[in-house]
Amino acid sequence: MAELRPTILIVEDEPDIRQFLRASFGVEGYRVVESATGRRGIIDAGTHKPDLAIVDLGLPDLDGIEVVRRIREWSPMPIVVLSARVQERSKIEALDAGADDYVTKPFGIGELLARVRAALRHAARKGSGTPILRFGPAVVDLERRTTSRGGEDVRLTPIEFRLLGALAKHAGMVVTHRQLLTEVWGPGHQNDTHYLRIYMKQLRDKLEIDPVQPRHLLTETGIGYRLILDE
Amino acid sequence: MDVKAHWVGYAWAAGATVACTLAGLAMRSRFDLVNIAMVYLLAVVIVALRFPRGPAIAASGLSVAAFDFLFVPPRGAFTVDDVQYLLTFAVMMAVALIISRLVESVHRQAAAQAALEIEAETERIRSALLASISHDLRTPLAVMAGASSSLVESGERLTAADRLALAKSVFDQAREMSEHVAKVLQMTRIETGAIKLDRDWAALSEIVGSVLARLSERMAAHRVIVELPDDLPLVRVDATLIEQALGNLLENCARHTPPGTVVRLRAHRHGNEIVVSVEDFSGGLSDGDVERVFAKFHRGSIEAAGTGLGLGLAICRAIVRLHQGNAWAERVPAGGTAFRFTLPLEEAPLVPAEAASG
Repeated sequence: MAELRPTILIVEDEPDIRQFLRASFGVEGYRVVESATGRRGIIDAGTHKPDLAIVDLGLPDLDGIEVVRRIREWSPMPIVVLSARVQERSKIEALDAGADDYVTKPFGIGELLARVRAALRHAARKGSGTPILRFGPAVVDLERRTTSRGGEDVRLTPIEFRLLGALAKHAGMVVTHRQLLTEVWGPGHQNDTHYLRIYMKQLRDKLEIDPVQPRHLLTETGIGYRLILDE
Repeated sequence: MDVKAHWVGYAWAAGATVACTLAGLAMRSRFDLVNIAMVYLLAVVIVALRFPRGPAIAASGLSVAAFDFLFVPPRGAFTVDDVQYLLTFAVMMAVALIISRLVESVHRQAAAQAALEIEAETERIRSALLASISHDLRTPLAVMAGASSSLVESGERLTAADRLALAKSVFDQAREMSEHVAKVLQMTRIETGAIKLDRDWAALSEIVGSVLARLSERMAAHRVIVELPDDLPLVRVDATLIEQALGNLLENCARHTPPGTVVRLRAHRHGNEIVVSVEDFSGGLSDGDVERVFAKFHRGSIEAAGTGLGLGLAICRAIVRLHQGNAWAERVPAGGTAFRFTLPLEEAPLVPAEAASG
C-alpha cells in the first residue's frame, strides 16, 4: 500500500540542524530520512525513494552541488538546497545543476516548509499539465496562447510568451538567468542578461498591478526569477 | 614640489637680504651699525623659521657679506679688520642653525603626533567594534540563553502563550543577531578586499522591488513611496551588493525615524550617472551627523538602545565606491534627510527588436 505521508530526505552534516528539521517535518506529517554525508545521501536517495531532497551545500565529504547532480542523473524529485550567505556562487551552480530552489542559512522553519510545499506542489502539477495559469489579475492559456488581465485581452509578443512559459514550467520555483536565457533565446545567449531585464519589465508592465513591486513575477536578485501562481 | 620649495627658500634668503640692505641704507645716517646688524638678524630669523637649514645659512652668509661690504668701514671691500664682525657673522650663523633645528624638531613632533592620532583612530574603531559586539551581540545572546533555558527548565509549567512568546523572542533575537554578524563579516570582507564584483546588467526597478519585498516586514510601519522613471537605463552592477546597499539605507530610515514617517525612494538619470535617493521626512540630522553618518560605527548623536552597529551606511558607501559611485547624506528643505548614492552609467548593449507579431 502506498504511503500517503511524503518522504523527505535530509542531507546535512550538522546534527543540531538535522534534529530541528526532523522535529519540524515530523510534526507537519512528513516521513524523514536523514543522511549525514553526501555519499550516504546519494545512496539513501536511491534506496528510500523520497518525494523530495533537502541538500546542504556545505557537506564535508562531497560538494553539495555534486550530490544534486548525481541525484538529478536519475531522479526528477524536487531538490531544495541549503546554503550559507557567502555561497552565492555555489547556490546558482546548484540551481543550474538541477536543484529546484534554495533557502539561505540561517532560516526560519516557516520559510523552508513553504519552499518544500511549493516544490512538492510543483512536482505534482508537472504530471497533470494544466495549461491555464492564474496569477493576480492575469489568466494565461499556454495551449491556446491567449492572455487576459482583469478579463481584458492582453497581447504578448512571442518572446514574452516563451519567457512566461519557461517560468510557468517551474512555477513557484526559482529559475536562473542562464536557464531562462537558454530556454527562450538559445544556448548562445547565456550571458545576455540584459534581454531578461527588458522582457521581464515588459511582462510585468502588462500583467502586474504594480510592476515595481510585483506580486507574481518576482526577482531573485543575482540569481533569476520566480513565478508565483495563485494557490 | 620639493625642488620648487628649495628655490623659494633661497629666493627668500636673497630677497630678505636685499630688503634689509635697503632698510639699512635708509637707517645708516641715524642709527649705529649694531642696530643695522639687528635688522639683518631679524631677516635671518624669519628665513630660518620658514625654510630649511640651507636657505637659513645662505641668509646669514648673504647678510654678513652685505653688511660687511656696504656698512662696515672700509666700505666697498670685504676686509674684516675688526674681530667683532666675525663674531656678528658667527652669531647670525648660530641663530640660523638653532632656529632651523628647532623648526625641524617641531615638524618631526607634529608628524609623530599625526601618526599617534591615526593609531588612536584605529584604536577608537576597534573599541567601537568591541563595544558594539558586546552590546549588539551580547544582548541578544542573553535573551536567547534566558528564554531558551526557561523553556528547557520550566517549559511544561508555562502557559502555551508564554512558551510561544519565549520561543518567538529567541527566534527574533537570533535573526537580528544573524543580521549583525553578516554586517560585520561584510565590512571585514570589503576592507580586506575579499569582495569581487560580479557585474551584470541589472534594472534598478527590479533591485528596488526585491529589496522592498525583503524588507516589507521591517518597513511595515513606514510609508514608502517609490518614484522611478519608466525609461531608467540599465546599470552594470553587482545586483546583490547594490540591493544590500539600498536595503541598508532603507533599514537605516526604519530604525531612526518614528513609525508613520514617509520614506521616498527615488532614482533619476543625471548626466552620466544614476542618482538613487532614500529620503525620510522626519526631524532630519544635525550638520555634524550629515557629515559623519556614513562613517563606520557612527550611530548618530542621540544614543538609542538597539540602534544597530552603525555599520549599515558604511557598508553602503563601501559598496557604492566599489562601483565607482559616491554616497552622501544631505538635509532636504522640507525637513528630513536624503541619503543618496550614484552609479555610473555605461552604454547598454542593444536588445534586438522583436518582429511585430502576437
